[in-house]
Amino acid sequence: MRITRFFLIVLSIIILPFTSAFAGGHYSGPDLSGQKITISGPWLAPQDDQFRKVIKAFTDATGAVVEYGGSDSFEQQITIDVKAGSPPNLAIFPQPGLAANIAAIGGLTPLGADTQKWVLDNYAAGQSWIDLGTYPDKSGKDQFYGFFYRVNVKSLVWYSPDNFEDNGYEVPNTMEELVALTEKMAKDGNTPWCIGLGSGDATGWPGTDWMEDIMLRTHAPSIYDAWVTNEMPFNDPKVIEAMDFFGSFARNDAYVDGGAAAVATTDFRDSPKGLFTSPPKCMMHRQASFIPAFFPEGVKAGEDYDFFYFPAYSTKKLGNPVLGGGTLFAITNDSPATREFINYLKHPQSNHIWMEIEGSGFLNPHKGIDLAKHSSDTFRGLNQILLNATTFRFDGSDLMPGPIGAGSFWTGMVDYTGGKSAKDVTAEIQKSWDAIK
Amino acid sequence: MAPALIILLVYLIYPVSETIRLSFFDNYGREFTGVSNYVWALNDSDFRQSILNNFLWLIVVPTTCTFLGLTIATLADRVWWGVFAKTLIFMPMAISFVGASVIWKFVYEYRGAGNDQIGILNAIIVYFGGDPHAWIAIPFWNNFFLMVIMIWIQTGLAMVIFSAALRAIPEETLEAARIDGAGEVRIFFYIIIPFLSETIVVIWTTITILVLKVFDIVLAMTNGQWGTEVLANLMFDWMFRGGGDSGRGSTIALFIMLGVIPIMIWNLRRFKMEQER
Amino acid sequence: MKHFSFGKFLAHFFLLIIVFIWVIPTFGLLISSLRDKDQVALTGWWTALKHNEFNEIVRTDKSNVQFEENGIFIITGNLLKNSPTKSVINFGITSKNPKAFKAPSKVTMKNGSTFYLKKDGSYRWTSDKEFKHKKGKRIFLTVNTPPSLTLENYKEVLVFRGLGQSFINSLTVAVPSTIIPLIIGAFAAYALSWMNFYGRDLIFATIVCLLVVPLQMSLIPILTVYNQIGNFFGVSAKSYVGIWLAHTGFGLPLKIFLLRNFIKSLPHEMFEAARVDGASHYQIFMKIILPLSIPAFASIGILQFLWVWNDLLVALVFLDKMPSEIVLTSRLREMLGEFSQNWEILTTSAFVSMIVPLFVFLSLQRYFIRGLVAGSVKG
Repeated sequence: MRITRFFLIVLSIIILPFTSAFAGGHYSGPDLSGQKITISGPWLAPQDDQFRKVIKAFTDATGAVVEYGGSDSFEQQITIDVKAGSPPNLAIFPQPGLAANIAAIGGLTPLGADTQKWVLDNYAAGQSWIDLGTYPDKSGKDQFYGFFYRVNVKSLVWYSPDNFEDNGYEVPNTMEELVALTEKMAKDGNTPWCIGLGSGDATGWPGTDWMEDIMLRTHAPSIYDAWVTNEMPFNDPKVIEAMDFFGSFARNDAYVDGGAAAVATTDFRDSPKGLFTSPPKCMMHRQASFIPAFFPEGVKAGEDYDFFYFPAYSTKKLGNPVLGGGTLFAITNDSPATREFINYLKHPQSNHIWMEIEGSGFLNPHKGIDLAKHSSDTFRGLNQILLNATTFRFDGSDLMPGPIGAGSFWTGMVDYTGGKSAKDVTAEIQKSWDAIK
Repeated sequence: MAPALIILLVYLIYPVSETIRLSFFDNYGREFTGVSNYVWALNDSDFRQSILNNFLWLIVVPTTCTFLGLTIATLADRVWWGVFAKTLIFMPMAISFVGASVIWKFVYEYRGAGNDQIGILNAIIVYFGGDPHAWIAIPFWNNFFLMVIMIWIQTGLAMVIFSAALRAIPEETLEAARIDGAGEVRIFFYIIIPFLSETIVVIWTTITILVLKVFDIVLAMTNGQWGTEVLANLMFDWMFRGGGDSGRGSTIALFIMLGVIPIMIWNLRRFKMEQER
Repeated sequence: MKHFSFGKFLAHFFLLIIVFIWVIPTFGLLISSLRDKDQVALTGWWTALKHNEFNEIVRTDKSNVQFEENGIFIITGNLLKNSPTKSVINFGITSKNPKAFKAPSKVTMKNGSTFYLKKDGSYRWTSDKEFKHKKGKRIFLTVNTPPSLTLENYKEVLVFRGLGQSFINSLTVAVPSTIIPLIIGAFAAYALSWMNFYGRDLIFATIVCLLVVPLQMSLIPILTVYNQIGNFFGVSAKSYVGIWLAHTGFGLPLKIFLLRNFIKSLPHEMFEAARVDGASHYQIFMKIILPLSIPAFASIGILQFLWVWNDLLVALVFLDKMPSEIVLTSRLREMLGEFSQNWEILTTSAFVSMIVPLFVFLSLQRYFIRGLVAGSVKG
């Protein structure tokens, strides 16, 4: 009893300064007027303007000028920048694999032990996030480079509750039910899915997400890990089977809006809009938690749209695996102001500003954030999933080496929807993997 | 003179030699790897696809531009509103490749069957009872849809040069032929075409060089997807994507260079002839 | 004679078709940039002047605005807010049949209530039980919408999408990148045509070779050089100065080549007379060559200006994508992904990027064509 009380007191002493510095309060930083920070990343409209709101609060507090530039071809742009020796101060990487490539050519500056400790203490499943942000440097030594900010939960299927109600559809709880529902919808004359793989230079990635979701639902997580590291070859029958399962939706003209031909040419940002047209072009859209940012203006979470979890097979007994992805900040050109910006990202306010924007889909595993700030219950629930996670299965293609995960896997998915056989496509991806070994 | 020489040295001569050097090194340009990049290139399916596509471009675009340019120049000389027509056809020359790509992407825009088509090509096809297509995603044929953009831009150039050349044909020669009873078609093939042979070569080489370097259109329209990859875009991709591989990128650049060498030699020969004159 | 006029007819006919095909794509772009964004997304630009029918989904008001009259609960409102020019043609109460009823009609809802919708969008919803719904009931409308042409898109892209800034960036790149190579090129061309020095022909032969060197080869090596220089002086390798010099380098062989040919074609006697009078090379260049070369300068300058303005590759490599540096072509390419289906934004942006070249083309057509023709002859 005495010991417990003592423990509590010690704990509160440790926590007190910590909480008073963060919880609820506004960020206040040192005076950095006259300093300039440049940031590049993959966020374009509407996320770029949302991020600029986050930036503005930093500028208001410190006086530093921060300029953000987004690019659809970020993968190429950051390489050019680093090779030119003129990178921005901070780069926002959409994939750890790409960041690891840049680290390997000496393009990143380690964040340091303090930040590493901070992530461990303040992020749910902190060690996973540290591991995902740690890569070998030029000399092969592991360093902590990547600070995750803006994480998303994949494996979600978005739909319109009203459309489901009009047709008398029930939200499926198992993969078997989802397949049956898809068939039923097509039989009713509705189009079940909207799928779009288009994404500028990154065209094809939404297809890789499908593959990962399916892999996790058809095989044990250990198989997934072996696939991601290529211990299991890419053209293993298990992968081919997963691709063909994706094809059973995406390559069926009756199952996908616009027919199979439209899948690869429709932009992923445009694809979900079919849920909200009159009459609806499709009933369901599988995409990560960030997608509501691209829904038509004025639609409301919980009212006009909702999501259900991309379900698992009831027969396979693999549990309900959580798949996620996220963007990470890494220092590409160090300066004191840049360090302070990283500090700002640790502050809950930098999270709250984005959470409060209606339908922005901003989630973060930061334990210090106030979930009440979310614009709707939908996102509060999603963020809760993230905070409750003990381990986190990360987007596989983002972990694969750049030429695969940001190259041949993407183009492979495009080729597959274009009609190539899963066998040929996976063999080609494996060949490109062999080529970089 | 000196500044010009320095700039040429830095921006063109040094890069060429550096590219040759890098093509024998690994992805970071650190370790010498011999001809392994060349071996890789010749075995890479994307690379082969690009070579094939570049050949297609090289055959189709200059031929079509020359043919259309000559036709339009000839027709425009015969109607009172020819100058106006030529202005309109020449206009795309002023537009950037990216701008032109936007214009044509809009033309090729595809909506699933049953929807209102907003791309004019699909709209016309649907109007006549056909099925709409996602043009830029149809393997092989999509190459031609991309070439149309280049042809749309470059025909104006061919037309203007032909116009100037046509005017240089002595009027007496044509008159004499007409008096001898030659028809317009005969005149065209037996007098005009031979007279223009030099001009045709010029147009051909100009457009060929441009086509070898075609990059913006492919990048903006498909980024090499759906089997439309070309050398210049493939090079850019290898050079810069996901960390970049300067060895392979340089190797591909050298293949582009290889394509222009015959033109370079031809240019030099002309220059020499000019000097001797 | 008859045969001749038939040929004339064919000439008119074919030329008309070709011109039509050539102009239509650009024309569609221009029209689309002036249309309302909802209309652009749903109907072809050739219907711009027609009344169009659009499907919309709207919600009725929530139950909190109901009032009671003689034991009947009533909700009234208007589904077409603030748009008196629109009118409802058909409507439906379920997504399964969005065009079930013709307006005006009285419809019985699933819960027994009565819904009455007029053509102008005003509705009266009555029930003998109290309304309890928390979110408005979805109503599917088919709305007749009059054509509307607007400059709103231009305001949108220039002010809110950063195209205005990119426009200025493009000018910042293009103007010096045109002037610098012209000046350097003119001096070099003069030297190559009228000064005798050892290796002159070799240098010129080299320039002829460099005319066709693919730009792509130069990118990485030059970046490396810039990087080293940048590190030495502690400045960024990406800068406007860097891209001016890059464009100068890439454009110089052609400029020298064309100007040399032009200067060489000037009458020989003039120079000899000036030399006899004791004029220096510099004086000859300034007093004789420059004034005579103005038309050639104009042609070559326009050529270079448009080349720089329309360039994407060099800008991708030598400039940042920050709002303060991104040029029009580069921004436009980003937009192709970012707004891949917002054709009102894409078409408008493309048109903005074309305004300067089209203006130059239409106002200085003669010089432009001359420059292009001269440039092409040598590849």
